[in-house]
Formats: sequence, structure tokens, C-alpha cells
Amino acid sequence: MKNKLNQEYKQNISVKDANLWYGDFQALKGVCMEVPEKQVTAFIGPSGCGKSTFLKCFNRMNDLVPGCRIEGDFKIGDIDVYGKIDVNELRKNVGMVFQKPNPFPMSVYDNIAYGPRTFGITKRALLDEIVETSLKASAMWEELKDRLNKSALGLSGGQQQRLCIARALAVKPKILLMDEPTSALDPISTGKIEELCDELKKDMTIVIVTHNMQQATRISDKTGFFLLGELIEFGNTDDIFYDPKDERTERYITGRFG
Amino acid sequence: MISSKVKERAGCVIFTVAAVICVIAVIAIFVFMLIRGIPALGKIGFFDFLFGDKWSPDRLDTFETETLSGSYGIFKMIVGTLLATVGALAIGGTLGFFTAVFLAFYCPKKLKKVFSSMINLLAGIPSVVYGFFGIVFLLPLLANFAPNNGSGLLATSIILGIMILPTVVSLSKTSLEAVPRTYYEGALALGASHSRAVFGTMVKASRSGIFASLVLGIGRALGETMAVVMVAGNSVAYPDGLFGSFRVLTANIVMEMGYAGEVQQGALVATGVVLLFFVLIVNLIFGAISKRAIACGVNGKGFISKAFNKIFKRKEDRKENKQPGAFKSKLIKIKNKIGEVKDGVKYKINSSKIGAGFAIGSGILSASALLLVIGFIFVQGAPYLFTHPNLLFGEYQFNSEEITILPSIITTLMTVLLSLVIAVPIGICTAIFLNEYAQKNNIFVRLIRGAIDVLSGVPSIVYGLFGMLTFVVIIKGTSTILAGSLTVSIMLLPTIVRSTEESLKSVMDSLREGSLALGAGKMRTIFKVVLPSALPGILSAIILSMGRVISESAPFIYTMGSVISAMPSGYLDSNATLAVALYRLAGEGWYVNEAYATAVVLIVLVLGLNLLAEFIAGRLNKRLKGV
Ligand SMILES: Nc1ncnc2c1ncn2[C@@H]1O[C@H](COP(=O)(O)OP(=O)(O)OP(=O)(O)O)[C@@H](O)[C@H]1O
Ligand SMILES: [Mg+2]
Repeated sequence: MKNKLNQEYKQNISVKDANLWYGDFQALKGVCMEVPEKQVTAFIGPSGCGKSTFLKCFNRMNDLVPGCRIEGDFKIGDIDVYGKIDVNELRKNVGMVFQKPNPFPMSVYDNIAYGPRTFGITKRALLDEIVETSLKASAMWEELKDRLNKSALGLSGGQQQRLCIARALAVKPKILLMDEPTSALDPISTGKIEELCDELKKDMTIVIVTHNMQQATRISDKTGFFLLGELIEFGNTDDIFYDPKDERTERYITGRFG
Repeated sequence: MISSKVKERAGCVIFTVAAVICVIAVIAIFVFMLIRGIPALGKIGFFDFLFGDKWSPDRLDTFETETLSGSYGIFKMIVGTLLATVGALAIGGTLGFFTAVFLAFYCPKKLKKVFSSMINLLAGIPSVVYGFFGIVFLLPLLANFAPNNGSGLLATSIILGIMILPTVVSLSKTSLEAVPRTYYEGALALGASHSRAVFGTMVKASRSGIFASLVLGIGRALGETMAVVMVAGNSVAYPDGLFGSFRVLTANIVMEMGYAGEVQQGALVATGVVLLFFVLIVNLIFGAISKRAIACGVNGKGFISKAFNKIFKRKEDRKENKQPGAFKSKLIKIKNKIGEVKDGVKYKINSSKIGAGFAIGSGILSASALLLVIGFIFVQGAPYLFTHPNLLFGEYQFNSEEITILPSIITTLMTVLLSLVIAVPIGICTAIFLNEYAQKNNIFVRLIRGAIDVLSGVPSIVYGLFGMLTFVVIIKGTSTILAGSLTVSIMLLPTIVRSTEESLKSVMDSLREGSLALGAGKMRTIFKVVLPSALPGILSAIILSMGRVISESAPFIYTMGSVISAMPSGYLDSNATLAVALYRLAGEGWYVNEAYATAVVLIVLVLGLNLLAEFIAGRLNKRLKGV
């Protein structure tokens, strides 16, 4: 048990035969996928097809949904996500950014220090350093260094979202999950976050759900197309968008691009 | 890591235990009432008790004696209670309804906040202060027209009416404001005047909500004790006209419990059971209506919007047909359908104008009720406080020359402190259990919710009875501050649980998810993210609870003592809180000035706390929003 807890998290995800039910409703049907490390993987598909559901399987946020039942193999490196692991440790290694920015109602500093403090870091100097590096990593240091003690709720939507990314980065995750992180933002803020993804993938694996196909083509290396709970096609982004194998993928892409 | 797991487990256990305590409290109250009440019922006979109209207890009656020499019929008091409730409803319900309409539709925006908070403040005034106001202001006034000193059914109805006013107003106003504005605009588009739109459409659409507010008012009136005791006259009789003296169920308990014989005590407890029964029925009705109110909102929406759609369609028809006459007759037909116009247009206009007049008049009257109660007592009492500082700060005295209420103030503070120390953690933990841990439709959860609903309806005198039969007996055998504090802390639970739950609910789930997704455990999420966000609501609930402890008197009289004594030296002493002291002083007739002054102190404390609660909630909310 103790061994497992301290096991090093790798950065690639491998899913086999994932089925998921919300009560009687089957939201995922036999999904298999290999998410490569240190690349950006995008999930696309029409609304309600199960992208978020699948994403949330990686850090077990679905555990919070009553009546949710999951089958299949989810592995990060060789750690079994649904095995006997410490869920908090898992979530520390697999960070998540949500669709709507959700900064805590506290100062910018405390928001970012929240994660490290959760894992027992209390030394001010160390925290200061983490806050600075996280903000730098999310390209916000210059903007925010003078207002670290102001409430995070006073920031603009785009700043809040990047703060949430910084907050996720502060616990040094190996994998970062992002569920439509830019859908509530203006084009400029969106651009900043896309640049950020490019920067971050040097160190970590990124999985992003998006409704914006241009975004997928711009930032992702791999793309998966979901339809009604099934993974229809998964492969290199260029292949998916310019040479789709499945007719349904093509229809979806052309329909949306047109 | 291991220790954090232990913490999680421990947290879960603590929250569950708190919730269980709430359930146990309810069960204990019911069980004790039944255990103590049923033998007496058996001895007296169920029907003789409920429908017997002679109440003349004999202290010497015990369960061993073969035949009872006293009579224990409470029918007159049941009738009295019902009449007082009807009277309160006639006055407070009507006034409250029109005041709500006034606030929702007629009050200028700038004044609305002032008026609303004035009426809310009415709810904060202690019931002994209402009773005292009744004695010193209302009774002398009524005595001009009455054959007696003015006490009786009318005085009781007026005082109770004012007391239920804020309940009726706030709930009615909420449901009036919940009606979509499109209804109003639609009615105007039909050519209705403002008043007709208000009374024909808006009031109609929210009638279940208004009805529910009246039911809640009934619950409040049924359970009220001290104010009624002070103005009803209290002889066991059917009220003989507006000024006939009568006794209500709660008064019966509070007047005789102190010196009751064995069977008599049982009968009084059984009186409490009857009271509980009434309150439960009212609760059930309220629950049913408010459920319907929600359902109606949905149906009504469909229905009315359909009707409007039809009308607009016909308007377009008219444009095409260019037949204004035909349209007019059609329009009237449709109006008939909606149920707005039944008796011809003119009559309707007049009646809604009268309604508007009533609304404005009621609004002003309700607000002046507050000014009158507070103003009168202040004018009479405040100067005395300044000329006799000894009353507040002097060495303990209690004789015909001089008295001090400092011991009562200290007693009150001790009670506030202890009851909050007990009730706040249990209440908050229960709310956390309900909102953060429990699954929605779990039987246990429904049990706890039900328990809390029941607790919130229990009249305060019943808590007093319960405390007397349990805490007093267990702790020392006589009244103690400890017993009183324990009693009142049970009473605080429902308010604290409910308002904490409300504030927890208002914390967005995305914050919880954000915290969990960072790898924080449930405990950390709750304590670092959820509770701070819910703090304004929780704090104001706590402050209002303080006000509640200060205001209450019925639960204390037999648990904690009703005599102003020397400075308490600890929780095992007996003493009177400020509110109880006011009851004593008002009743004795000797210390009128001191009573006024005590009332002033009470009002200042309670209203101060109310304002503080509002202020703190506002400030914290602003801070949380990042301004
Ligand atoms: N908590 C839940 N309980 C029941 N059903 C759910 C729940 N969450 C999602 N679903 C259902 O599962 C299906 C997939 O939902 P999901 O949120 O994963 O879709 P999505 O692809 O992320 O859609 P969108 O693009 O709109 O975010 C939908 O049909 C949805 O209704
Ligand atoms: Mg989604």
C-alpha cells in the first residue's frame, strides 16, 4: 500500500474498454485510447457525446457523481487509476482546469498556495517561490505580481482562468486536463491560453476538450472524435482533420468548418 | 498522508454524530412529552381532557388516588387558542397581505429597503416587550371602550397580529416578487391599470405563496406564550365578546406549571402535546401548500402565457381585419377567461383602486407599528436609564426602593454564550452533514430534515416544559442557568441548521470541484473553501440566534428561574434573564419605570444584533465578491 502511494506517476495514459453509466444511461461505450506523454491531446465532438465524462475519468472526478458506474482499464504509466490508490495523490498528479474559471474567494496568492499547502508545504519562502514560478509558468507574473494579496475574484475572466491554470501548476502535475478552458473567454485571452499550452507541453501531458476546431488544429498533436459515447476516431491531429478515415468524422468536421 | 485519512474519517463521524444528535433531540422531546402526558390522559380520560370544559385542578390529585377531585378539561382553552389565532390572522394576516402588496408594487424604490427592514425588525422584538407594550399602551387605550381594563380577545388579537405581521409580509412579498414581470406587462398591454394588473394578475398568480405565509403566521400565533399571557386576562372561560377574558393553551402551561400537583403536571404536559399536535398539522399544511405553490408557479406560467399568446394573436388579427369593435368584445371575453373581469369593468376598477388604497395604508400602518412600539417604550424608559444608572450598574438590590438588573444582564450573557457554544457547532456540523455528505434521498437524511422541520415548529413553551422535565431534574433538581441554556440551545438548532444549509447550498459546486481537483480532501475543501464562502450567512444566523436567546422567556421561566437574584456565581445558580426580568417587573406593577428601562435595554440589544447581522453579512459578501 505504502509503495503504491509513493509510486512515481508517469505521463502517458492508457485506456482500455472504458464503459461508464450514469444510472441507466450509458455515457461511454467501449472507449480505448493511448494518450502519449508530453503532447497535447484534444477531444472533439458534439455536445453531450461524453468528452467531459471521459476526461473526468482520468482524475476520478466522476467519483463525486452519485450513481456513476465505471468499467474498464484506466492506467497512468502502470498505475491503475481505479485501483487501490490515494485519490488525492492522483489528483495532485493529474491537474484539472474547468470550463468556467473557478478561483476560490481568497487572494491570488492564497489561491495558488492552496494546492501546495494541501500537501503540507507551510514555509513562506518556499510558498513564495512556488507562487512565483507558477505565475511565471502561466505568463501572469508581470500582470499580477503587485496584486498578489488582492482577491482573485476581482480579476477579469481571462485572468481568472489563467490563475486557475497557475493554481493547477503549483502542485506540479504530470498531466493537465482542461475542459473547454477557453469557451468563456474572449479571443485575446484564448490566444494567451493556447500559447500557454504550447509552452507547458514541454513538461507535461495535456488533454483538452474543445468545441473549437481551429483551436484543436492549432494546439493539439493528437485528436479524438467522440460521438454518442463512442470514440469514433483517434489519431494525429493532421490526419483527423485532413484525412479522416471515418465518414462520420468527416461529416462533423466539414459541417463545422464550413 | 495517513493522518489526513484519519482526519477525513473523523470529520465524517463528527458530522454524522451531530446530525444524529438533532434527531435524538426531537425524539427525546416527543418521547418525554408522551411519557409524561399519557398517564395523565389515562387518568383523566381522553375525551374528558379534550372536550371537558371545566378546568379546576386539585394539587393533591396523584396517580394513586382512586378518583380525581379536580377537573381537567381544556376545551375552553382550545377554543380560546383558536379564537386568538383567528383574531391574529384577521388583523395581522390582512395587514400583512396588503403590506406585502404595498412593498412589492407600490412602495417607491428608495423607501422599499427602509420599510422592509423596519418590518423585519418587528420580528426581532422580544415577545415580552410586545406583552409589556400591550399592558402599558394598548390596554389603557382599549379600556376607554371596554367594560374592563381592556384585556381580552381584542387586545390579544392585536398584539398577536403585530407579531405575525413580519412572517406574513416577508413570505408573501417573496412570492409576489417571484411572479414573472411579463404577467404584469401582459396585463398592462390589455389595458389594465397598474392596480388592476397588481390585484387581478400578480396577486392571483402568487396566491398559494400568500396562503402559505398565512399558514406560517398561524403557526407563530398558536405557539406564542408570554405576550398572550400578559394581555389575555387568562381566566378559564370562553371569551365573552371582544373584551372577554380567556386563556390559551400555552398560557395554561406557563401559569400553572410552577406549582402543579402530580396529575395537574401531567395534564399540563398533555396540553403541550395538544399544542404540538396543532403545530404539526399547521406544518403539514404549510408543507403541502408550499409544494403546491411551486407546482402552481409552473402550471400557472403555462396557462397565463398561453392566454396572453392568444390575446396577442388576436391583436394581430385585428390589424388585419380592422374591426375594432369586434376586437373589443373578444378582448373582454378573453379577460373573462383569465378570470380578471367577472362583474363588469367599472366595478373591478373601483375595487382595485380600493385595494391600492388599502395596500398603501397598510404599508404605512405596519411601519408605524414598529415606530410606535419602540418609540413609546423609549420615550418612557430611556430617560429613567439616564437618571438611574444604578439600575444597570449598581450593586445588587431588590427591594421596594431600588433594584438592579445587572445580574440579569450577566445571566443573559452567560446563557447566550453557553447556548451558542452548544448549538452552533452541532448545528453547523449537521448542516455540513446534510449538504456535503448525505445523499439526497436517503431515508436517514429525510429523517433529519423532518426532525429539523418539526423542531422549528415546536412552541417555545414546550421546550420549556421539556427542559423542566429533563435538564432541571437531571442537573440539580431546581432551575439552573445550565438547564436553561441547554433547553434554549435545542431551540436554536433548527434555525442554525437551516440557515447554514442555505448558505452552504449557495456556494457553487465549481469551487468544491476546484479544490478536490487539486488533490485536497473533503475536510480541507469544506473548511478552507466552502465554509469561508458560506461565512456571511452562517455568521448572521449566529448573531440572530443571540438575539433569539435574549428575546426568549417562555423556555427559561421553569428551567432557569424567574426571580432576579444576586449576581450568579456560576452555571449552577438560578437567575432571570433580562426578558424574564421584564416579565416579572411588568407583572408586579410596582416597578413600572424599571420595567420600561429594562424593555429599552432589551430592544437596544436585540435590534442592535439584528442590524449587526445585516451589516456583517453585507460586508463579508462584498469582501467575498472581491470588491
Ligand atoms: N452527472 C450526470 N448525471 C447523469 N447524466 C450525465 C451527467 N453528466 C453528464 N451526463 C450525460 O452524459 C452524457 C455526456 O455528458 P458530457 O458532459 O460528458 O458531454 P460533453 O461531451 O462534455 O458535452 P459538452 O460538449 O456539452 O460539454 C450527456 O448525455 C449527459 O447528459
Ligand atoms: Mg463537457
